[in-house]
Amino acid sequence: MFVMRSATRLCFASTTLLFILLSALMLSTSASSNQETAIFGISEADYLMAQAHEAVLGAEEVGADVSGLLDRLDVAGEYLAEAHIWYRLGDFENATRFAGLCFDVVEEVRSEAYRLTEEAYGLWVAGLFVRIIGSFVGVVVVVLLCYVVWRAFKRRYQRRVLGLKLEVVSDGS
Amino acid sequence: MDLEDHRTLFMVVTLGLALVAASPALSVFLPFRGGSERFSKLWLLGPGRMVEDYPFNVTVGETYSVFVGVSNQMGCSEYYVVYVKFRNRTQSLPDVSSSLPSSLPPLYEFRFFVADGEAWESPVTFAFQDMTFQDDSVFVGGVWINGVAFPVDASAMWDSENTGFCLQLFFELWRYDKTLQSFRFHDRFIGIWLNMTV
Repeated sequence: MFVMRSATRLCFASTTLLFILLSALMLSTSASSNQETAIFGISEADYLMAQAHEAVLGAEEVGADVSGLLDRLDVAGEYLAEAHIWYRLGDFENATRFAGLCFDVVEEVRSEAYRLTEEAYGLWVAGLFVRIIGSFVGVVVVVLLCYVVWRAFKRRYQRRVLGLKLEVVSDGS
Repeated sequence: MDLEDHRTLFMVVTLGLALVAASPALSVFLPFRGGSERFSKLWLLGPGRMVEDYPFNVTVGETYSVFVGVSNQMGCSEYYVVYVKFRNRTQSLPDVSSSLPSSLPPLYEFRFFVADGEAWESPVTFAFQDMTFQDDSVFVGGVWINGVAFPVDASAMWDSENTGFCLQLFFELWRYDKTLQSFRFHDRFIGIWLNMTV
């Protein structure tokens, strides 16, 4: 009877110990998994942010108005800064949440930047065509005008030079 | 001047005018980037958004504010980070001559974009907690920046020159480098000294 009770107690104690150990293991695994998720989320958001920035720069180079995109990137930047701050403070849930918010905004901005680049590029090509044609016509007009002016000048110059009469001056001796 | 000289003069003038007429098209192939210097500015203003009334004597339970700003003259829009750090006199400051940031970990940070020729400005509020005075030293256990609490382990000795226990809150400017594809210290930092008082 005494042996049975001891065995039951031992069994209960070992089960409790096993349960505590398993819980601790699960908690630590979950914390580590939260950290990994946060790292992954932040690095994804960081990468996409850099990509969106380059897309916006591309749109800016071809003359698109990117002020609206920069405003939205600023919002995404605030989220990303929050994600980094919470990560450093060990709050991986908030870090993941803010990285996710950043990701959503940035993804939209990147697509919008590519669309704006395409639109602005079309306008840029049309503008380039107008500039080249305009410059060509301008050069032709300038050359023709200069040629006409030169011809008129030359005629007048020759008339003046050829029109000069020789005068014979006697020395009176 | 004979006719030959006049002809040369006309040709030079024609060439000059033709270049002017062709400049719209030439500007596409020979883009003029401008000779002005490219730089960014970092500044810190007092609570009234002026270069005055900076907080100096600080104590536990009070909230102080300043404004941090950045302007972009780099020729295109830029992606910046401003790191907020906290140090005492013996801890490292950024070394601008070698482009090295302070080795201290950042507490708070701002990430933002600034278009060329534009500026960005943001308020920064800060407060202190767990301030302990012991003989000729002060220990600070926490700093609140913009409502977020950061545990710190900062201490300062009595500074007889400035007659106080001085710690510095400073801001480092970093810029996203497209070539390196990462952030790089942009050789600019600014800070304020704070005297910890009872």
